[in-house]
Amino acid sequence: MSPLPWFEYHSPKTLDEALTLMNTVDSPKPIIGGTDLLPLMRDGASHPANIVDINNIAELNYIREDEGFICVGATTSLSQLAVSPHMKRVHALAEAVKGIGSPQIRNRGSLAGNLCNASPAADSAPALLVYDAEVKLESVNDERIIPLHEFFVGPKVNSLEPNELLTEVRFPQPPEDSGSSFKRIGRRRSFTLSVVSAAVYLEMDGDVCLESRVAFGSVAETPIRATDLETMLKGKELVEDLISDAGRKAKDFVHPITDIRGTAEYRRDMCEVLLTRALYKALERAR
Amino acid sequence: MNISFDLNGQPLTIIVEPNTSLLDAIRDIVGITSVKKGCEQGECGACTVLIDGAPVTSCLVLAPQVEGRHVTTLEGLEMNPLMIDLREAFIENGAVQCGFCTPGMLISAYVLLRDNPNPSEDEIKLGIEGNICRCTGYTKIIDAILDAAERITPE
Repeated sequence: MSPLPWFEYHSPKTLDEALTLMNTVDSPKPIIGGTDLLPLMRDGASHPANIVDINNIAELNYIREDEGFICVGATTSLSQLAVSPHMKRVHALAEAVKGIGSPQIRNRGSLAGNLCNASPAADSAPALLVYDAEVKLESVNDERIIPLHEFFVGPKVNSLEPNELLTEVRFPQPPEDSGSSFKRIGRRRSFTLSVVSAAVYLEMDGDVCLESRVAFGSVAETPIRATDLETMLKGKELVEDLISDAGRKAKDFVHPITDIRGTAEYRRDMCEVLLTRALYKALERAR
Repeated sequence: MNISFDLNGQPLTIIVEPNTSLLDAIRDIVGITSVKKGCEQGECGACTVLIDGAPVTSCLVLAPQVEGRHVTTLEGLEMNPLMIDLREAFIENGAVQCGFCTPGMLISAYVLLRDNPNPSEDEIKLGIEGNICRCTGYTKIIDAILDAAERITPE
């Protein structure tokens, strides 16, 4: 058993205090649930000199609607999100969040932390990408809101500056005529990372698709949107032939690798399966 | 550093290092060893405790993070009627073999039945998905939880 390396522990009570700490202490690392960070520290892969615990900042714990957006504060746990009434029409995200980790992990882990960890296999990421989610990044002297797809830079690399905190995840409230779905394949059903995942968001006018968004996880260096597939579906009637065709073409848009969880070939094939399943489910929900 | 929190209904102040896990604080400083040290990665669930009523793996919590919180181990639920039913159901259904996973398993089962007194088999499997048992193959644990659900006296 490897003990945790030494660090200084800080527990700011306000966001201002936290941002000041992030700006002044040596190699600061924010912690929310610690469900990704602590195993990394025990493995020696992360050794922050200062840990800034942002859990006691009351102003960062919320799920609320604001001018057509659903906004999720940084310390909101995955469990809080899973049971939130705001998730009623946000099916893909609700499905993704309920499958992350175990009850114990979801009680500690946060949506913000899942994104900041920037794993290509983070289940919340493809789901949020299809809602056109944005993240709010704050530092002592700056605040910027960027699209989520710009936040992911590479495997386990995000675009946060060393003194920045991700303080909010936000996305437009899905309209009535929309439907979404998240599908994943793991090595087993429970408590496992996804080998492949797919998320779909549709806005329909009768049989015609007005808006389509498709994203995949675990098939590239970052979670990705498949915009070419989206173009195939937009403005069309979503008949069986078109859905099958989109499924077949999914393989061309992904660049998976072979690793301990699955081969590249398997992942490509499963993109077809998952996309087709997610499209039918989203379609059913949009009607 | 000093941390003050409520453990099993008793206020407590202990001295910890910033990098002491809640698991090590409970086992080595307080001396409660029902909380087991298994994987230290949050995977096995043997170190499950309740923080403010919610189950968490104590290996992934820094001891300073429970300042002002309510922490509950199996000992804090000893006289709880639901836990008594669960404990007896575990014994009578042969749901305990080596016993290492049992404290964590009982806490997850307790939360499951507290929040959902009449769970389906699938709901039970989801409720204990964060607790690994290497002996029983889970069958008898699931039987025990179903049995305990039947024993809960309707209010």
